[in-house]
Amino acid sequence: MAILEGKKAIIIGDRDGIPGPAIEACLESAGAEVVFSSTECFV
Amino acid sequence: MDLENQKRVKEIADQFGPENVIVVLGAAEGEAAGLAAETVTAGDPTYAGPLAGVSLGLLVYHICEPEIKEEVDADIYDEQVSMMEMVLDVDNIITEMTAIRDQYTKY
Amino acid sequence: MNHSVLKGTGYVLVHVPGMVMHHGTTQTTERSAHPDSDYLKELPKHIRSYEDCLAYPPNQTYIGNLSIEELSDIEEPWFDKKTEHPSRFGPFGEVMPEDEFAVLMQICDAFDLVHLDKEFVQTAKPKLEAHPLITAAMLSLIKEGQEPEVIRRQVEEEHAQPVIVGDKLVGYVKRAHDVDVNLSAHVIFENLVSKASEVLTILHLLKQSGVDPNDVDYVIDCSEEACGDMNQRGGGNFAKAAAEIAGLLNATGSDTRAFCAGPAHAIVEAASLVKAGAFKNVIVAGGGCTAKLGMNGKDHVRKGLPILEDCLGGFAALISENDGVNPEINLEIIGRHTVGTGSSPQAVIESLVTNPLTAAGMKITDVDKYSPEMQNPDITKPAGAGDVPEANYKMIAALGVKLGQLERAELPAFVKNHGLRGFAPTQGHIPSGVPYLGFARESMLAGRTKNAMIIGKGSLFLGRMTNQFDGISFFLQKNTKKEASSGVSASAVITAMPVIGVAIPDSELGEEMVRSAVASAGKNGYKAVLIEGDACLKRMDEMLIAGEIDAAVAAHNPFPVGVATVGRIATPALGREMFLATTTGTSATDRVEAMVRNAIAGIIAAKTCGIEDPTVGIANVEGGRQCERILQTLSENGYSLRFADSARADGGILMRGNDLLQGSADVMVMDTLTGNLMMKVLSAFTTGGGIESVGYGYGPGIGEDYEKRILIVSRASGAAVIANAIEYAAQTVRGDLLTIARCEYAKAKKAGLQKLIDESKQRSPGGPPVAAKAIAPPKETCTEEIHGIEVMELDEAVEALWSEGIYAESGMGCTGPVLMINDARIEQAKAILQKKGYVH
Repeated sequence: MAILEGKKAIIIGDRDGIPGPAIEACLESAGAEVVFSSTECFV
Repeated sequence: MDLENQKRVKEIADQFGPENVIVVLGAAEGEAAGLAAETVTAGDPTYAGPLAGVSLGLLVYHICEPEIKEEVDADIYDEQVSMMEMVLDVDNIITEMTAIRDQYTKY
Repeated sequence: MNHSVLKGTGYVLVHVPGMVMHHGTTQTTERSAHPDSDYLKELPKHIRSYEDCLAYPPNQTYIGNLSIEELSDIEEPWFDKKTEHPSRFGPFGEVMPEDEFAVLMQICDAFDLVHLDKEFVQTAKPKLEAHPLITAAMLSLIKEGQEPEVIRRQVEEEHAQPVIVGDKLVGYVKRAHDVDVNLSAHVIFENLVSKASEVLTILHLLKQSGVDPNDVDYVIDCSEEACGDMNQRGGGNFAKAAAEIAGLLNATGSDTRAFCAGPAHAIVEAASLVKAGAFKNVIVAGGGCTAKLGMNGKDHVRKGLPILEDCLGGFAALISENDGVNPEINLEIIGRHTVGTGSSPQAVIESLVTNPLTAAGMKITDVDKYSPEMQNPDITKPAGAGDVPEANYKMIAALGVKLGQLERAELPAFVKNHGLRGFAPTQGHIPSGVPYLGFARESMLAGRTKNAMIIGKGSLFLGRMTNQFDGISFFLQKNTKKEASSGVSASAVITAMPVIGVAIPDSELGEEMVRSAVASAGKNGYKAVLIEGDACLKRMDEMLIAGEIDAAVAAHNPFPVGVATVGRIATPALGREMFLATTTGTSATDRVEAMVRNAIAGIIAAKTCGIEDPTVGIANVEGGRQCERILQTLSENGYSLRFADSARADGGILMRGNDLLQGSADVMVMDTLTGNLMMKVLSAFTTGGGIESVGYGYGPGIGEDYEKRILIVSRASGAAVIANAIEYAAQTVRGDLLTIARCEYAKAKKAGLQKLIDESKQRSPGGPPVAAKAIAPPKETCTEEIHGIEVMELDEAVEALWSEGIYAESGMGCTGPVLMINDARIEQAKAILQKKGYVH
């Protein structure tokens, strides 16, 4: 069963890992609906 | 996790129902990924934010985990993430994330 | 291409534990949300003392006392390690304690908003008065202070922000407006901290670069604060506010903001302004940030670490017109994260690193060093942000693998060879690329590194105006002008030509000859001015100090002990150029130490004249073997020397008379008296000894911390030698003798110079002098000279006078050692010296 398809997705990206918008593009291609996307910055 | 982000996670889980929500992380290393995952499942371990003592038990993955990668369009994944697979310690991230999911995820 | 250059840098830390508690946002947020939290109770136990903060290895690296390589050799984590001999001041700046900084904040307050405790001012003010860089104008701004009762009332009842030093309330910053939140006490405090730390960093930059404050045209502030009122919240301008206190009377400025990428943007702007010809000298500077203090404190406390984010950071750089010496900022290689780039890490690195390099026909491996964000991993790792610089190097390498420029197996080696360990405090804009500029400049001046890419990145999305990320990179390269100088137009050479003063009051060959020498140097394109009259040597000194001349050629000069001159000659057998180290002056009173120091002076002179890696030979004179041993150990310890090989059949580093005639070494090391003898023999042999007709004269005085460029010729020097000496003098300016000297002495010191010399003295039959050292009485102006003291006894003679309460200095005149003394004391001093047998 697909994990992402049809899900409401919350994205907590990381500026020094994978930033929010990059994850957003990935999840949308898998059929998830991105309801919140943010990028954290620890430095 | 940032306090504002905790607030939003809580609101979204309330609005759509925790079973319909998935959290996807982009953290730079295993420990930070584990802490964020713990926050959206068992509650804020630092007891600082709105999720302190709130166990949402949400489904949570890191974008580099194979389960997620499998479902993402291969070209887009290659363009957006693949380079970071060489940079991040993906095995460590998977270990941390799996441990949290096994213990706290309810959905 | 006439690129602008990086002429100097300044780096400052301020240890502010009081601000961690009261102004770091992690702590203030916690206090408002959970005033009784365990974290706030636990935190004070994790605060470091000033001494611990100073000895913390990354902090010593930030101010230049510990190289990045030395830091990398220390096993991580670093928080439990200490530098062996930490020093408050370093080649790039300092670590200032909190009490002095509180006074500096008051100095920087132009609106009567900062008030300190009366008693506190009395104890802290003298410390700032003793600070080497705080100007008299700044000291005059220090106010007397207020009573503790007034301070307490302001903080408790009037919304003032407390100034805390060592747990004590020592002052307050009051709000500048009753309603306007942009002028609240909190904002004013934050902005004054930024301004004061920026001022301190600029002062260090001025000292480091030697630029005249009046020559600075423009300042660009690149911090992350905003100053303004409710009608223009980010109106500015920190740059001009800081320039005012730092005394940059001829500068204006503006603020550039781009989150952490600010400094990199500002340097590109500064380099462009200079290259375009709008300004000659532009300073880029950024002060520290209170909000980020203790930002990751919760993680540090949870893991039992000290609060490592207890320092404000400051950074400054001077960008100037190309001087043919300093590293260039090559504006043809600029990376930009554009609006269309997107946010995938791959696209980011492409835009900042590989795209500009590919456009310039380069591969990622063509860049010696990359400086992305240089955050100290000791701080970020426990907080879950990993090792930020290392992750950046991995990203660059990973992209290289994707582009086929690197094999995957080479990834770790790339990170090691082209990367640097992070050492900067997490003060936002401070760690972003620029912390490496100071080391990069030194390394490029010394020829160890040919280029570096500096990468600034900024999280614009934190400001909620855009989801965009940002970044900009620029390329620093070793100065290319020297190699390309044949292509430079004549007018460009003349505008950059230094002015040389010539003072030879008593030439044996007559005034007319001196005049013709000056004229002939002028015909060859050198700017020389003849300083005439009986007092010409005094006038020369004044002109040097006033900057009317850049260097001088003189028949006499009393160099202090520690300074000796490096002669330059064309050797008779092969016409090969050779540097004779040294020919007048005294590098040290111990013979072997003097020869070792002569070798370093010789290398400095040769490098100044464009010989990148000169060969060093030691004349076969008494002490030569010991000198050789020390130089070889120095070389093994990291002060890498290229030794010459004697032309005689059996070779070796020790040079025979034949080698002197042939010029077997670029730098020929010997004791000064032998050097003086050889100089005269080699420059006067063609005339039968009457006139010194060949060579460049006795050369510039060189010594540790000696900051003048004075070259010596003899009373018997002919016109050709004087004209050559003028050329040699111009080279000491354009080749930046003083910077090269600083670098060389620093390297030799790091390789254990003093220890080796001390060991050698222990071994020598006489051993070190055992008498207790006399303490110098208060310094007096010394204008009179006493001659006739044996050089070996000179220091003793000085101390003999000190022990009688008379201030004296040792020096070296043209006829031998001299003792310098105040004119009112001369008779008394002579009598003492006679009684003790130092003079007859």
